Amino acid sequence: MADRSPTLWYKDAVIYQLHVRAFCDSNNDGIGDFPGLMQKLNYLQGLGINALWLMPFFPSPLRDDGYDIADYTSVHKNYGNLEEFKAFLVAAHERGIKIVIELVLNHTSDQHVWFQEARSSRDNPKRDWYVWSDTDDRYKDARIIFLDTEMSNWAWDPVSKSYYWHRFFSHQPDLNYDNPAVFEAMWGVMKFWCDIGVDGFRLDAVPYLVERDGTNCENLPETHAIIREFRKRLSEEYPDKMLLAEANQWPADVSAYFGNGDEFHMAFHFPLMPRIFMAVQLEDRKPIVEILEQTPQIPENCQWCIFLRNHDELTLEMVTDVERDYMYDEYAKDKSMRLNLGIRRRLAPMMDNDRRRIQLLNVLLMSMPGTPIIYYGDEIGMGDNIYLGDRNGVRTPMQWSGGWNSGFSAADPEKLYSPLISNPVYGYQAINVDAQTRSPHSLLNWMKRLIEVRKSSRVFSRGTIEFLMPSNHRVLAYVRRLESEKILVVNNLSSSAQAVELDLQAHKGNIPIEMSGRNLFPRIGDMPYLLTLGPYESYGFRLRRL
Amino acid sequence: MAEEFLLSDDFLRQLMSVGEVDLLVGIPSHNNAATIGRVVETIEQTFQRGFPRERVVIINVDGGSTDGTSDILKNAAVQRSSGSRGLTSLRTERRIVTRYGSAPSSGIAFRTLLAAADLLRAKACAVISPDASNLTEAWVGHLLEPIYKQNFDFVAPLYCRHKYDGLLARNLLYPMGRAVFGKRLREFHASDLGFSGRLASHCLNQDAWRESPVEAAPETWMAVTSLASDFRCCQSFLGPKAQSTTASATDIVAVVRQIVGALFWSLESQESVWIGRVGSEPIPTFGPDHELESNGMRVNRERIFELFRSGVSELSPILKSILAADTEAEIQRVAAQDEQNFRFDHALWTRTLCDFAAAYHHSVLNRDHVVQALVPLYRGRIYSFLSQHQDSSADEIEADSEKLCLEFERQKPYLVEKWKVRSEVKP
Repeated sequence: MADRSPTLWYKDAVIYQLHVRAFCDSNNDGIGDFPGLMQKLNYLQGLGINALWLMPFFPSPLRDDGYDIADYTSVHKNYGNLEEFKAFLVAAHERGIKIVIELVLNHTSDQHVWFQEARSSRDNPKRDWYVWSDTDDRYKDARIIFLDTEMSNWAWDPVSKSYYWHRFFSHQPDLNYDNPAVFEAMWGVMKFWCDIGVDGFRLDAVPYLVERDGTNCENLPETHAIIREFRKRLSEEYPDKMLLAEANQWPADVSAYFGNGDEFHMAFHFPLMPRIFMAVQLEDRKPIVEILEQTPQIPENCQWCIFLRNHDELTLEMVTDVERDYMYDEYAKDKSMRLNLGIRRRLAPMMDNDRRRIQLLNVLLMSMPGTPIIYYGDEIGMGDNIYLGDRNGVRTPMQWSGGWNSGFSAADPEKLYSPLISNPVYGYQAINVDAQTRSPHSLLNWMKRLIEVRKSSRVFSRGTIEFLMPSNHRVLAYVRRLESEKILVVNNLSSSAQAVELDLQAHKGNIPIEMSGRNLFPRIGDMPYLLTLGPYESYGFRLRRL
Repeated sequence: MAEEFLLSDDFLRQLMSVGEVDLLVGIPSHNNAATIGRVVETIEQTFQRGFPRERVVIINVDGGSTDGTSDILKNAAVQRSSGSRGLTSLRTERRIVTRYGSAPSSGIAFRTLLAAADLLRAKACAVISPDASNLTEAWVGHLLEPIYKQNFDFVAPLYCRHKYDGLLARNLLYPMGRAVFGKRLREFHASDLGFSGRLASHCLNQDAWRESPVEAAPETWMAVTSLASDFRCCQSFLGPKAQSTTASATDIVAVVRQIVGALFWSLESQESVWIGRVGSEPIPTFGPDHELESNGMRVNRERIFELFRSGVSELSPILKSILAADTEAEIQRVAAQDEQNFRFDHALWTRTLCDFAAAYHHSVLNRDHVVQALVPLYRGRIYSFLSQHQDSSADEIEADSEKLCLEFERQKPYLVEKWKVRSEVKP
């Protein structure tokens, strides 16, 4: 009998996030597709990642880059069809790569047939699949999320002459989870994709599933009850599938989405991410240590997801006003870079293309507790285009080569779904996979080695973290531990060389072995352990007692 | 013989861990356990609210406290804003402590802070009195902001004082310093002040640290150095000045010896600067120029007068060698007046100080003795002030002070003459 107990594979994953549209075009229509993505699976396998998170690829009017779904159980014709998806899935699994897809639970496109039916008449059977009101003054305490574009969470529907509720764009009406039929329909969607073979779901916008007057309509107990039900059914029928929560909340509120190990398997640690950027700019470990010390323990079968950048703006919702102002002033001096309480830039431009800083941030990503997610293109240091609308500047075509359309597509350049990055610093002629593959010391090859180090030990994926607090606050040092295995990570957050004395008495007698070069360092004794680090330098040491 | 360093290895290690800072606040202390906790909490609140992005450090330089002052400073609670989900400042806030001996020394404490400011490349620094029980966030900010945001080098404080408080400044330091250096700086000696890293480095690298007047009153020396050089000086209103109750503060002999001694020494070291200056000009001031209050304060005037008279009598031979003949004769005449009619007027007081300054310069006696001999005459001057201004309003007192200042400026040629004349006969 096959072992159906969960393997907790997501704890050991290194996830790569991409949009099918942006990765590789196989049929020369200027848009990436599943056959094209399948062609690049060897690249992804070579990079060392073992899970892919695909942004929405469902039929959609594409007014929110696919997060406005018009059909949950099909593939947008721009990206291929269901058979091509299945072929891609098989090929990915053959290479040991799990596939995580989006499931937008909270809302649909207003073009979805459910909404078209619901709005057609107040008596339609699907009317209650959405949240309607004759006035726009209910749920007054709910904040507006897309501040730059939306004035209200209610929109007037001229067809049915009433208001409908939408926490995001007005063309994305919220589903009504007080109606059991909605839950069953979405469970049906989940089953559909599980049966095809996907390995997990990123559930978008989960805090907002349920509304209640007199509340801020976020993180309500009813929402958690719905999640628990999804999880219960999933665990019973598909025990090794994973649910990943997108809940942009403070750590204490996000950790509620793990429940008692009976809600989400994983959740993004949103508040940590901006603090990584803050710490490097401040040259001070405080923002990172402070937020992680505030982060509650989570159930043993659960895991945080950590990331540096993604397809959205770098959110500054879960920071203080002082922190937000600092981040804007340091990372988004040009106001065009700012959107919706966030910064719409890629990693490399935010680091001023400083290779050392890019590497430092990736070391933090790969060595701190949680499953790391790499945003496509960041492994080669892709740039952004802040002059494209919304968040499209960080969603430009993947840069494969210095040739025609950067090897992304054979179509005419004007036909591409988005212009390529083409400036002299980040342009595809300078930054591309081909060039970096050829150079042993490129960022790409460095990332491969880093991912290898990450995967070399489960200490990173499953171990505890203990912060050392040397008096030099520009050094962030911690010990990761899993059973008897220990790894010491020391990071210089500063632009200048630093000396640091670490109190390693608890590890006296151990020999630090540096992980990339495997060189021996002096045995730890009674005295503080002196290390010197160059600007933005990191060391990872396996501690061995011999 | 082991080499002695200003900075201990432990302190140096702490400085290394702090690294470069934008703002440095120093607190020299000696047995200030009662107030130090609140002082450091207020300073950190200033940092968090007024300078949230800056790299900051608080440095306590302690001279042999036995009441746990430094431990209290290190362990004072970190201030958390209730609305920030328990998150504190953007940056790590540093407090470091060094102890330099078993007895307090203003010179060592101050020089240590200057060295720290120099090594940490601090842009703006402030020294805060450890017993500033009424310290506010605004107070600290008013010392730092002119330097950090407006590129001044030296910030002297201005206080709201009781009309009977700060009499040494009002009757001697301010009018004399103003006339001599040509700048209207009210507080020549203050335990709260601000200075730039540039000025700190300049003062640190002077040879003057071996001189006992500098050791005794380094703040006065820094004020004079700033006025005499091209450093940008200003004064900033802080608020009400809490009266110090420490023994050192109430020992008038010690205070005069240290502060007036430092002023006289500074006249000598900066002679080339002030000799040719005429008149005075205001310096940039943030906030009100002065504030006086007149809530009840009891002063034992009778005792002051007694000490004046007995001092004049006992020191008569010494006064004859210090003062010009007509000045000495006039002092003997006023000392014979009864208390009700006693007046030590502006002209006489000014001439007296000019004579003393010149006598110090020419070392007619041991210089310390010269300064000490001034104490009874100062008491006489204070008694006269207290009598005259029993019922005066703040404006009346201020108007009278202005007259005293103008008298000093009028008599500056006399000072210059006395200064130079004796130097011509100096062997």
